[in-house]
Amino acid sequence: MKINKIVAISFICLMAIACGDDFLDLAPVSNSNATNFYQTQADFELAANAAYATLYTSYGPDCGASYCAEQMSDNGTMYHVAGNVADRWAFKDYTLMPSNSIVYQFWQQYYNSLFTINIVLDKIEEADLDATFKEDVKAEMKFLRALNYFNMVQIWGELPLVTKPITAKESYDILRSPVSEVYNLIIQDLQDAIAILPLASNVSAPGKVSKGAAQTLLGKVYLTQGDEASAAQILRVVYDSDEYGLVTGYADLWALGNKNTVESIFEIQFIGGAGNPYSVYYPTFAPFENFSFTAASGGMNMVTDDLYDEYETGDIRRDISIDTGYTNASDEFVPIKFPQKWVDTTVVYGSEYCDNNFMVLRYADLLLLLAEATGEPAYLNEVRDRVGLPAFGNAGYPSDLYPTLDLAIEHERRVELALEFHRWFDLKRTGRAVELLSAKGKDVTEQKLLLPIPEKVRQQNSAITQNNGYN
Amino acid sequence: MKRIFLLFIFTACAFQLFAQEREVTGIITGINDNNPLPGVNIVVEGTSIGTITDINGSYSITISSDDVTLIFSSIGYLTEKIKVGQQAKIDVSLITDIQSLNEIVVVGYGTQSKRSVTGSVASVKSDQFEDRSNSNVMQSLAGQLPGVKITQSQGAPGSSPIIKIRGSSSITAGTSPLYVIDGLPMENFNLNNINPQDIESVEILKDASSAAIYGSRGANGVVIITTKMGKPGETTVSVNYEYGIQEVTRKVDMMDAQQFIDYYITAHNNAWIAEGGNASDPNDLRPGQYQIPEDFINDPGQFGTGTDWQDVLFRVAPSHKLQLSVTGGTDKTQFLISGGYLDQDAVVDNNYYKRLSMRINLKHRINDKLLIGGNLALTNITDRTDGTNGKVDVVSLALQNDPIFPVYNENGNLGFKDPNSEWYRFAAYNDLQLWHPYSMTREIIKENKALNNIGTAFLEYDILKDLKFRSSLNGNLYNINFNSYQNALRKYGYSDAKPAEASTSSSNMINWLTENTLNYEKQFSDHSIKALIGITAQKQRDEYSRLSSNNFPNDLVHTLNAGTANSGLSSASEWSMLSYLARANYGYMDKYFLTGTVRRDGSSRFGGNNKWGTFPSVSAAWLISDEDFTQDIAFMSYMKFKASYGLTGNNQIPNYGAIGLLGSSTSLSNAINLTNDGANYAFGTDIANGLFVTTIANPDLKWEKTAQFNIGLETGMFSNRLLLGAEYYNSITNDLLLYLPVPDITGFSSQLTNIGKLRNRGFEFFLTSHNIDRKFKWTTGFNFSLNRNKVLELGPDEAPIIFSEWNVSVKTEIGEPISNFYGYQFDGVYNSLTELAASPHLETAIPGDPIVRDVNEDGIISDLDKTILGNSQPDFISGLTNTFSYEGFEFSFLLQASVGGEIANQQWRYDGRWNGGRNLYADVADYWKSESEPGDGIHFKPTINNNAFQSEFSNLWVEDATYLRVKNIRLSYSLPEKLLSRVKIKATRLYVNIENAFLFTKYSGFDPENSSYNATTYSATGRYDSGTSVGVGDTYNGITSSSALPTGAMLGVDFGAYPVPRVITFGVNIDF
Repeated sequence: MKINKIVAISFICLMAIACGDDFLDLAPVSNSNATNFYQTQADFELAANAAYATLYTSYGPDCGASYCAEQMSDNGTMYHVAGNVADRWAFKDYTLMPSNSIVYQFWQQYYNSLFTINIVLDKIEEADLDATFKEDVKAEMKFLRALNYFNMVQIWGELPLVTKPITAKESYDILRSPVSEVYNLIIQDLQDAIAILPLASNVSAPGKVSKGAAQTLLGKVYLTQGDEASAAQILRVVYDSDEYGLVTGYADLWALGNKNTVESIFEIQFIGGAGNPYSVYYPTFAPFENFSFTAASGGMNMVTDDLYDEYETGDIRRDISIDTGYTNASDEFVPIKFPQKWVDTTVVYGSEYCDNNFMVLRYADLLLLLAEATGEPAYLNEVRDRVGLPAFGNAGYPSDLYPTLDLAIEHERRVELALEFHRWFDLKRTGRAVELLSAKGKDVTEQKLLLPIPEKVRQQNSAITQNNGYN
Repeated sequence: MKRIFLLFIFTACAFQLFAQEREVTGIITGINDNNPLPGVNIVVEGTSIGTITDINGSYSITISSDDVTLIFSSIGYLTEKIKVGQQAKIDVSLITDIQSLNEIVVVGYGTQSKRSVTGSVASVKSDQFEDRSNSNVMQSLAGQLPGVKITQSQGAPGSSPIIKIRGSSSITAGTSPLYVIDGLPMENFNLNNINPQDIESVEILKDASSAAIYGSRGANGVVIITTKMGKPGETTVSVNYEYGIQEVTRKVDMMDAQQFIDYYITAHNNAWIAEGGNASDPNDLRPGQYQIPEDFINDPGQFGTGTDWQDVLFRVAPSHKLQLSVTGGTDKTQFLISGGYLDQDAVVDNNYYKRLSMRINLKHRINDKLLIGGNLALTNITDRTDGTNGKVDVVSLALQNDPIFPVYNENGNLGFKDPNSEWYRFAAYNDLQLWHPYSMTREIIKENKALNNIGTAFLEYDILKDLKFRSSLNGNLYNINFNSYQNALRKYGYSDAKPAEASTSSSNMINWLTENTLNYEKQFSDHSIKALIGITAQKQRDEYSRLSSNNFPNDLVHTLNAGTANSGLSSASEWSMLSYLARANYGYMDKYFLTGTVRRDGSSRFGGNNKWGTFPSVSAAWLISDEDFTQDIAFMSYMKFKASYGLTGNNQIPNYGAIGLLGSSTSLSNAINLTNDGANYAFGTDIANGLFVTTIANPDLKWEKTAQFNIGLETGMFSNRLLLGAEYYNSITNDLLLYLPVPDITGFSSQLTNIGKLRNRGFEFFLTSHNIDRKFKWTTGFNFSLNRNKVLELGPDEAPIIFSEWNVSVKTEIGEPISNFYGYQFDGVYNSLTELAASPHLETAIPGDPIVRDVNEDGIISDLDKTILGNSQPDFISGLTNTFSYEGFEFSFLLQASVGGEIANQQWRYDGRWNGGRNLYADVADYWKSESEPGDGIHFKPTINNNAFQSEFSNLWVEDATYLRVKNIRLSYSLPEKLLSRVKIKATRLYVNIENAFLFTKYSGFDPENSSYNATTYSATGRYDSGTSVGVGDTYNGITSSSALPTGAMLGVDFGAYPVPRVITFGVNIDF
């Protein structure tokens, strides 16, 4: 009986000892956690790769740049789309309201991307790593940050500037900075990046940011600010670097598998197939519920007749860029114009895991920017020459339609870079947006050229101001 | 106190000194039948001198003076006290105790007599739910318990009710009570796994003092389930068979084909006219979206009234239930062996629910000191359930399908997207909709198979006479497999002709618990002391895996090997908890009671800085009716006053909520169509792996703490024929666990933090009246409860928390209850331009558009005009039971009422206005046509281009959720024993039971209890609840803490929830 008592009591004691605090320290089984990460070079490679991967959302087919550049311009339209139709419709109709869920989604995407970029920049400062590696990673991150902020500032104007990971508490003190400060950050980041980044021919892997990419972007930023001299100077550096050129055939630019060509300055990389980082431009830009060539189909960025008609007679780029319809399941032809640049005919119906890369910056863009910055038609003519069209000012040029170089560049950018997320930003840069788009029936005002600050953002922090023209 | 104690002993001794001994004898009978009562205790008051009656009810006792009082007590009878005086023979007729105070109540880590309970505990014995046909015992308790709101939000077989005990104590963390199954505490346990026939009692710990013994998990209340055990003596074999039929009794009134065509044409023409066209323009002059099928204009009559898709989906469904149990035992060994099989068809086409349950409970006394025992229960549930997933599932879709289409096309296929069908001519119109019910219920083959094992083994050892050691080991193993195969093209019945696809998923859970307790129980004359100390450790691990295939060559083989695997994942998650607990009960003279409890919990879920929490409580009760000064109040037989105060916690957050997690996909919700948001990148042809931060770390994360004060009074009158009880409570929850929406500029939308304060206070009342208690008996039970819920503090900036999902927004702000519906107030439609000009309006508004109220009166209609539109919490709930019995017949009915409170009909988004050509509510047909034909003044001028405000969440979506329900009607007949004894049958009972017999409500949907959102749960086990959610998404609840929408915040929002059917069952029960 005594023994039993001893057994029982020792059992209790045993239990108490066996289950110390260790019993309660459970690390996640299926996730890495942030406390023990950001230490080794391998950690930072993973983190930097994830920062690159933010391009998949911030430059995806359903991103702010896509909706603004095409839907809000005269290039894109929609008929039927999946999901929240009304909120998408509002882009093309200029009826955006602060409650628009898609505008909010874009805001979240951009700041989520910025967090993923900023945390690398922040953590790498303290990490004990090879100095060159650190500088390289920082330069790449700064380019990515600049690219995001450049799109954001064009979309919303004044922005809360976030340059490091912040706590919820700190975030309440970060209000919208003037546009000039946003540009200062963009320019600083790009200049820092240019100082470190290698030339395109020296990048460690295809798709890594090169010096030329940062320079081209900086040129575009200067041009957007109206500083043509600085723009011309930096763009000319890229032009003279001999790192880039035009691909001979315009169609080759879009040929599946023809990635990272000589024309490519900054290109988002994808690998097709399930489980890979595949691209979704093709199904997203396929007519809604076509059920003939794609099962997934977004119906976004359907092409307006206005863009289709913009092409000059004999311009091969029209039929390379725009599809005019498809044959449905019962062999009837459905006429509908939609983008054709990112077609992947190798995907299996129902598994649209596409292989197409997406070019953010390319040499033709650079040439046209140079023409714009310098007023030299020669750069423009290089672009026209590739597709066998007469040079600006020469016989056969439709000078009745585009009598000035400015109009010629506007036209050329539209057809050369059609549906590549440029048009609305171009028109805003040249100050032509309101005049040109209202003439085409868009209900647009100067104020509506900035998107509303999402309602949710102002509910989270009531000190955030709204853009003029929105309540 | 000590002095009183000594004095008392002294006095007792003094009596002994002056004793004059003599005998008193008598016979004790029961008052109803005058039969002698054996085993009645007779005690001389204030002494330990006593005896019991023999088989003839007679007794004999020695007393020491005429001044003594005898106490006659027996379980089931009211205790009588009689002063002896000169009497030598005292015969007593004991009155049946309708409300026995000696009844045993399970309170967690032990039992108490009802008399000594100091907290707020509701106890329900098996006879109160044994004839009910529900598969989950809690369903049978709805409407019966004050302070316990049991809501059947979905009517599918096996759908667990949502249980809220004394309101909602949390906004973001889980709000379901803790379940304790034969001692094993489980969060989000699926009670369908316990066959109600095996349940002896259900106890619900409502206040903090009784729940504090479960510490960090007690804040939402505790439901204790105790299973049956055999009794020493004869073996009883009990057989039960039930046949049932189920039926949906309320349908939603939708447009027929003619109404739909009229609306379709008008919506297209109005929109086309707004674009500058004419209503008379033929299709070739109109852009695609404004075109109207020729058939609609030329020959609408060919469609007749069309198809009612609710009739296609729903059916009258039978069910069978067979149960068998054997109980019995000897003084040393007792047992229960039971088995049951339920085979239930669901009211939704091709759906079913089958449950096989088996149980063995065993207890054996090895010697005077050592007792061992164990329970083991196995449950296998096989089901196919459609319709519970809200907007994308068959119930909601049945309300969206256009009535113009036939059930089968001329090819025997299901839809108009069949290229070989004449109906294919409508495929050119993107705004005609059909998601055929059969394309989901018949063209997708799927099944859940769940196996639950729950077991307990324990030993009890009497170390000393009063000191008992108990050690137990409990385990719960759960496994669920889900398989689905989608036939290629689904006979063209779905909106898009999807290729064949198959998926399989599997979840495994193992939960173990070990408990060691020491129990001390001692009676010192008038003092009774009970003490408990214990230590427990519990751990759970969940594993989940999923695999899917496509590219099937044909529909012949449904397993994944026949196709090409295209995605897969597996994950695991764990939690652990270590606890120390102690409780002391003190009773004085059996009328003053004091209880103190403390539990200290450590949990793996919380931040490194706050792993441990302590939860104390104290409570007291006073049996006023046992005081001398109340003895003269003749009508009062019983009165008890009790008060308590205690602290409990809520730990229902994700397992790794405190830790910043890295993952390979972003935390952004996928609101946009097609995205690729993985962390992996590609450089050229090489995949470059990446890792994102998906949640922010919070090392300070801790439990929510709820402090509750409870005060109650119970009284019995007229020999307890009338029992009344009332309780008031006030509880404050501090350190609310909130997924606080943080400014998105942090990179995240929400973070889990402890901020905020919430109050629930309320009042509960019950009454039990034995109106007539003769051969004919009539008993009435009534209960009433109200709860008021108010947010006292919120996060920094005191910013309100708004959750939105598919237009519906709920707002939580200081000074208001949780989750007010938040949107625009529409005051009818503009009938004319004059009317339009008279008030603030949108620039684009035209006559026929809704009048949006300028709530903030700034002269502009904007987002700032959103306002509170209602709340799902009722003003009060109430239940009324009446039971009548005569001879072997018993008849009872239960009324249940919920008054006040609103329901948000999210289905309005599809059916209340034009939405992509879906069908609409019948009353929409009375829309605004012109100034002279303004319609009902509610429904807008139809257009296919809704302006944004027409689509916004408004008062038109919010309806009164008040209802009165005849929840249950029962009639049973027990055959006379005399008749049965000849055939060696102990008892036979025949019964008819009707659940959800009638419903009276103004709600236009199926049922005002409907909600397509479930209570918030972060425990992986919660996923298994309906069995259907597994395999739907790839996110695994137990792992991520990034889900910004706690579904519990959206309770009371109905997006096509499954109707609760009326169930009629016929049963027979035979005991051998």
